[in-house]
Amino acid sequence: MHHTILEGPLNCLALNRDCSQVVVAGRNVFKIFSIEDQEFQEKVNLRVGRNINLNYSASDVAWNPIQDHLLASAATNGAVVVWDLNRVSRSKQEHVFNNVHKRFVNKVVFHVHESDMLLSGSQDGYMKLFDLRKADVSSSFHGRDGVKDIQYNPSHYFTFAAALENGNIQIWDMRNTSRWERQFTAHNGPVFSLDWHTDEKMWIATAGRDRMIKQQNRVRNTHTVQTIASVAKIKWRPQRKFHISSCSLLLDFSVNVWDIRRPYVPFASFNEHKDCVTGISWKQNNPHVFFSSSKDSTLYQHMFRDATRPANDANPVGISISVHGSVAYASSDKLNSSTTPRSNSYSRLPAVWKRTPERSEQFMMVTSLLNEFEIINSAEAVEDFCMSWFIRSAREYKLSGRSMAEVCEHNAKLADSMKRHQIAQTWRMLKLLYCGKSKKAPPSPVATAINNPKTEVTKDTDAERTEKQEVKKEEKPDTSTVGHGIKNHSDFFFGDGDVDQAVYEYDSHRNMQDGQEWSLPSEAFQPRHEIKETSQPLDPLSENTKGESPSSVNESELNSKRNEQVALSAQSGIKQEILLTPPFNSHLSPWHFTTLVRDMLQSYAEKGDVQTAVTAIIVLGDRIKPHLDELHIEQWFMSYIDLLGRFEMWTRATEIIRMSGHPAVGALNQLSTTIHTHCSQCSKPLLRSGWLCDRCNGQLNVCSVCHLPVRGLYAWCQGCSHGGHLHHIRDWLKTYQHCPTGCGHLCEYT
Amino acid sequence: MFIAKSIQAEHKDLIHDVAYDFHGRRMATCSSDQHVKIWDLVDGEWRCSARYKVHVGSVWRVNWAHPEFGQVIATCSFDRTTAVWEELPGDAGEKGQWVKRGNLVDSRTSVTDVEFAPKHLGLQLATCSADGVVRIYEAPDVMNLSQWTLQHDIPCKLSCSCVSWNPSRVHPPMIAVGSDDNNPSAGGKVHIFEYNDNTSRKWLKAETIMTVTDAVRDVAFSPNLGRSYHLLAIASKNVTIVTLKPLATKKEPSATACTKFEIHQVAQFEDHQSQVWRLSWNVTGSILASSGDDGCVRLWKANYLGNWGCISVLKGDGSAPQQSLTEKSNKSNLGSSAGTSVENNSGGARYLHLGPVAQANHVPWH
Repeated sequence: MHHTILEGPLNCLALNRDCSQVVVAGRNVFKIFSIEDQEFQEKVNLRVGRNINLNYSASDVAWNPIQDHLLASAATNGAVVVWDLNRVSRSKQEHVFNNVHKRFVNKVVFHVHESDMLLSGSQDGYMKLFDLRKADVSSSFHGRDGVKDIQYNPSHYFTFAAALENGNIQIWDMRNTSRWERQFTAHNGPVFSLDWHTDEKMWIATAGRDRMIKQQNRVRNTHTVQTIASVAKIKWRPQRKFHISSCSLLLDFSVNVWDIRRPYVPFASFNEHKDCVTGISWKQNNPHVFFSSSKDSTLYQHMFRDATRPANDANPVGISISVHGSVAYASSDKLNSSTTPRSNSYSRLPAVWKRTPERSEQFMMVTSLLNEFEIINSAEAVEDFCMSWFIRSAREYKLSGRSMAEVCEHNAKLADSMKRHQIAQTWRMLKLLYCGKSKKAPPSPVATAINNPKTEVTKDTDAERTEKQEVKKEEKPDTSTVGHGIKNHSDFFFGDGDVDQAVYEYDSHRNMQDGQEWSLPSEAFQPRHEIKETSQPLDPLSENTKGESPSSVNESELNSKRNEQVALSAQSGIKQEILLTPPFNSHLSPWHFTTLVRDMLQSYAEKGDVQTAVTAIIVLGDRIKPHLDELHIEQWFMSYIDLLGRFEMWTRATEIIRMSGHPAVGALNQLSTTIHTHCSQCSKPLLRSGWLCDRCNGQLNVCSVCHLPVRGLYAWCQGCSHGGHLHHIRDWLKTYQHCPTGCGHLCEYT
Repeated sequence: MFIAKSIQAEHKDLIHDVAYDFHGRRMATCSSDQHVKIWDLVDGEWRCSARYKVHVGSVWRVNWAHPEFGQVIATCSFDRTTAVWEELPGDAGEKGQWVKRGNLVDSRTSVTDVEFAPKHLGLQLATCSADGVVRIYEAPDVMNLSQWTLQHDIPCKLSCSCVSWNPSRVHPPMIAVGSDDNNPSAGGKVHIFEYNDNTSRKWLKAETIMTVTDAVRDVAFSPNLGRSYHLLAIASKNVTIVTLKPLATKKEPSATACTKFEIHQVAQFEDHQSQVWRLSWNVTGSILASSGDDGCVRLWKANYLGNWGCISVLKGDGSAPQQSLTEKSNKSNLGSSAGTSVENNSGGARYLHLGPVAQANHVPWH
């Protein structure tokens, strides 16, 4: 690939018979170059002479295919100029046909087999056949509209085709000058270019302003290529039956080679030019080399191997995951069919087989397969994928209306039923932490175990402190399951089995506790019991009173109370047989589990389980909110509400908004809550709220069935503005279709 | 277990993108045949409810707007335009007509990606084009989709192939842009831009992810939900997942400079053994799906340690998908050395390790 830069924009180019020389012409350029291996060498500058006029500019140029020294150019002033390179003088202008055409000449072309026949096509609608021996016009053809392009049929002596400005293609026989042999409409708008196929006798390609390249097969339009810009020039690629090259009139500066069987993606693309390409010319019988001229004043020789292949950059797959976890996957059938063999032949393929034929073959007939993968039974690993757990939790979680302990227990059971043990455990922990004293809580094993005070008082203080440390660690689900996570990553809820087991173990031991000394198993959950236990047995009275309001125990209260009780127990130490000394109590510093709960919620949120975080916040309410960042809370709520929206659980989302207690989130429910209606009697649009219509002073909210004012839900037909009590309207519509007022409207309540 | 359901797409050329809508009830496909098809889920079956020609070139991407703005899609194409289409509400029970509302013609080259901004930013649209310009459009009036103003023009220098919005609502507007430039010496191929609302009101480059130097075909931010960091997946010759943690230096937003991030590469997978083309996150951002030239969809998920591993491999031709049996948590962070020994006992022998990954442009079936 090499190029040369000229003085001005180029309008056209032409190759000589043996493709050793190229002529380029434009408004300010008219030169002949010889084609060397690595460069273009300037041979002749035709723009020389005493007075350089418009005859030295060209809109089109043609090289005589028989006599290598003859050239013809279409001048921009309507003249046709013949050049003879064998002239001895400096100026090579041989003859100028002035006043032959009245307007711009678009095209000159020599006959394929007769060196003396030159045909020109002009904007004035005429095509003139020149006889160079006589230096005169021998025949004239009237196309009735501007002629944009003409070309001799290479396989038929007398036939040529003309492309017209009105979108028609005319096939002429030179022997009949009065009328075309055939005419058909090829394009919407002007046809800019046409090209006969060299091998297929009846194939003609046309291109026009409607951005189409069409291939016509005598009568039928067989292939259409839609391009992105008006097509200026087209040329069939030699020796490749289905390939055609094109360049655009504007916008697109590249030369595209299309395979007409795959009309959507260029087979190859050459993007060297910086402005519109004006001419393409393939080297004779060589599909690998072509030349192009451009408005950017450059002449390029392109090698086909330098082409970019747009199809290679087009991605062959599409993928999307739906909210419900289905995966839509579109992939090229080529990828699928060749997956396995390709793996094997991958590395050695380029060496063994020739690439080129395969590539053009592969290029063809590509389609995509579209598949949707649905989850049928959610295995452990893909559980997160299918969002059924989310939907079910969102629907069935209880967040208010009952005591916190019950709420927590309900949610824990729900999580358990979906095999989300970690979440279940979280709910249980919350219950223990915040309402562990509640006697009304359903007797879960852990809760009942608490009520046996004697067991744990025996152990020494050091042990207790270490236990407490452990609790802190265990509190964070992330770290607690780290060990298991390493071992088996697909079991994400590992670790809970242990916990449950331990709890039940403990439960079974409960019966024997009374009699014997019981040493604490080094399991994490007991210290929690022990914390409550220090407070519970000592002061049964206060326990009862507090126990009445199970959801009210917050941490500070608990702590202060505990201290109080500690003092109390220090005084009435006789009550407990093995009661520890006051120093023990001083060691029992208040346990700030709120930070742990906060960390836990944050860790859930970090993992994307915003549901747990939000629901826990709602349930905990003010116990936790002051300890969390406002911004975080808002972000979590908003995300959760968005998620609910994606699953179309609007009612649930509204509940969450209502329960959020966050000003910014709560405001969501207050947006766009007004619907303006009409007066049911006079149809005046109501712009303010009130009981009476402004115009007719009629009462607005009268039920159409019972004629009494409606308080509460008002069912309203949007068509006729009538309505009434929901149940009245419902009853009415069971038997009738028309409006109960008799207005004749077929009411629709949707 | 996944079951594969084949859908007769009947596009006449390659399908380049598939997109579910917000609720998963509709699907849009776009293809090189210059058409877009809209599919509706009717009784568990996907029915093509609309099919129309949107462009005069290959349609690269299709993207749904948030349903709050109506049934709106945006498409971008090789023909250098981006189009916004809206479905007119039909009569009850009937599907409406799709009409072209906006046609954005600023690009001089192929528009390679288009994505609507997250809802809280209003009706905004980011496009990127092969000439290396990212454009941010906005419809100032959400009721009038035919009016789009070009708000920002962000030069990227390298030809862009993909763009992704950060969906986080607490972080200032942020996009990631990937480049398909093939030259590794041109540096990092994924750039993070951030909108500075305080002073300049401009999009500024916040970061470049230097570790990815191969051509990038897709980038995807995960849904943010409650996370304090941002997860970005990058499709290149491998699948890379990075976390961007905003460095909270001061409480007040810095007046001039962009947020600095602590960028940490959490996973890199070579399992596709070829060019990876597309990525998609699930709704919670816990699972990533990727697909590449090997014709497979691979699903990735992190375990408790934050180690990412493959949880499933789906075959594109609908043949029996297979569950990866052995765990591969140790594969993450292994980088290029992955796939030597672990590969052989996972997912059967179907995907053999091929030695060093060859260049994607040697793939012979194009």
